[in-house]
Amino acid sequence: MIGEYLENLVNLVDAYYLQIFVNIGIAIILALGLNLVTGVTGQLSLGHAAFMSIGAFTGGILTIKLGMPFSVNLISSGLMAAFFGVLIGFPILRLSGDYLAIATLGFAEILKVILLNLDITNRALGLSVPLPNTPIPLPIYVWLTVLLVIAAMILIQNSRFGRALRAIREDEIAAETMGINTTLYKIQAFAIGAFTAGLGGCLYAHFIAYINPSDFGFSKSVDILNMVVLGGLGSIPGSVLGASLLTAAPEFLRFMERYRMLVYGALLVFLMIFRPNGLLGGVSVRQLVCKALGIKPRPRQSLSTDSNMEGRRVK
Amino acid sequence: MIKKISVLILIIFMLCMSVYGAAGTVKIGFMGALTGDVAMFGIPTLAGMKMAVEDVNKAGGVNGQKMVIVEADNRGDKPEAANIAQKFISRDRVAAIVGDPTTGITKVVAPICERNKVVLLSAGAVGTGVVELGKYIFRNTLLDSVAIPPLVDYFVNEAGYKRFAVVTSDNNDFSVSLTQVFKNAMKGKKAQIVADEKIKDGDKDFSAQITNIKAKKPDIIFFSGYYTEGALLMKEARKQGLNVNMFGGDGLYSPTLISLGGKAVEGSMVYVGFFPENPSPETAKFINAFKAKNNGKLPGLFETQGYDAIMMLAEAMKRAKSNDPKKFRDELAKIQNFKGVSGTITIQPNQEPIKSPVYLLEIKDGAYKLKAKVDVKVNK
Repeated sequence: MIGEYLENLVNLVDAYYLQIFVNIGIAIILALGLNLVTGVTGQLSLGHAAFMSIGAFTGGILTIKLGMPFSVNLISSGLMAAFFGVLIGFPILRLSGDYLAIATLGFAEILKVILLNLDITNRALGLSVPLPNTPIPLPIYVWLTVLLVIAAMILIQNSRFGRALRAIREDEIAAETMGINTTLYKIQAFAIGAFTAGLGGCLYAHFIAYINPSDFGFSKSVDILNMVVLGGLGSIPGSVLGASLLTAAPEFLRFMERYRMLVYGALLVFLMIFRPNGLLGGVSVRQLVCKALGIKPRPRQSLSTDSNMEGRRVK
Repeated sequence: MIKKISVLILIIFMLCMSVYGAAGTVKIGFMGALTGDVAMFGIPTLAGMKMAVEDVNKAGGVNGQKMVIVEADNRGDKPEAANIAQKFISRDRVAAIVGDPTTGITKVVAPICERNKVVLLSAGAVGTGVVELGKYIFRNTLLDSVAIPPLVDYFVNEAGYKRFAVVTSDNNDFSVSLTQVFKNAMKGKKAQIVADEKIKDGDKDFSAQITNIKAKKPDIIFFSGYYTEGALLMKEARKQGLNVNMFGGDGLYSPTLISLGGKAVEGSMVYVGFFPENPSPETAKFINAFKAKNNGKLPGLFETQGYDAIMMLAEAMKRAKSNDPKKFRDELAKIQNFKGVSGTITIQPNQEPIKSPVYLLEIKDGAYKLKAKVDVKVNK
């Protein structure tokens, strides 16, 4: 009943825009996860697509083999990715900067090769994923998840935990002196990032309906990193904007035909020259909104209002 | 600033909307990459499709309507391919989509076409599990399971080979599945597999395998892998004085096989879906038209498959007397002995195509030469 009603509701939206809209939603989920790891905690990860692939294959296999209810499936995919996040977080989060980036890259490559050689992932042939076992249409599922992830990220960033992560980004040694268990916090951040990537991967698998281990390679990780950096490291509205723009841009630039990706690349270069901190890096959206409405912004108590700290570049 | 941005967005929107087409045309979407890693499949497919559309329109179109191709570049990217499929269907209202030449993207696009009841005809997907995705999903490629049995007949009955050595690259899916097809085809034939050796992609030393094979005295080596290993395998065979030839699938079809193998691969054979030598009348006409258009360049497999895809759709539309995919889908499924430029195509009841002939090429004087055109029989 409710499913039918929602289905009709979704069908009101133009199918082409809906398609782009859902892709944007999935990109936002992925970008927010990476934003927590790279933007807020300052740990450069080049293996985000690997966690996405864990979520995608877990979700896909659970639907194919067991036909599990989609909500259970989605959470299991996230947990599976988080489990791997913790597993590899222990050894590699002791590294920092370039070394960490290379270690995450290595992990992603290893995982890709493993998935390419497992029978359960159908090796190099990939998996065709059937429709998820849920009455709720997938686009609504995706956007509900987006809203939940955004809410969770805001809560995390404004909590004690979030402030600790920020402290680690600014100065790890100083943070440790203040009594922050940096390794533990970093692993926790990594696990949360992996969890959201798993969610994104699971949604991606069911939406695109066909997954192949080679889809989750280095270039996918860089795409996600692009969204986060373009939007502004550490900024939640920034990640949302970056993910939306970078996902929608190739479609809106389609009228340029073969020059499209050229223009797309040039746009990225110019943006990075003129806004090196990202589109919304160093911008407090809350203050902007207040200004537009003509309200005097109420000072926040916590350190997170310090807009100067948003959008710092990764060391 | 915000005003400027909103004006810009508005302009972009309007540009997108203006693509809305004119009435009285039947639209065919081209799904494929024109840029990026897999553009080498997409560009020739589109070229073939364009020639076919010209021919169709010169002959008066289909059911009184002109045929038009709507093209969009998917860069070989799956989410983008899904966006394009949806755009073709809901914006451009295409009757059918031709493509994608790769199996992976075809599998992404297939559920969208099936859901919206639009025909998808892939001019290139050869992997398994494609047409199983729905009633509206078709392809017109040469499948290994179709090509191998008549080839085995040819080798056993006409060439007189009795003892086959099989070499498989077991970390290569293409190779593993091709060997399986070959072994199935060998069942019940008056010939036997005397050696069954395994190698891995990336291996350099095949002395152990060749020693084993040599002891079994085969007439020919069937190698299901790719050209690099193929060339090295044959070099080792010649080094050990094993003077039999190799044959394999289009994984071996590359100039690199010859440049790397040199004298050792002389006499080796590969089979492919199209070769512009000794053509049928239909194919000859197409080759001449293509050469006239492209400064004497010869068409390849993907040009011919793209051309045939459009022609098959036009044929189905004419027979159904309708350009509605729900109606001409049934006619497309019934196509028998369609004389295409890449071969004769029959769609089986399970929607898989049978394509004839198979082109068997032999390396002679450092170049691929046509050895035989092996006909595939449609067994009912």
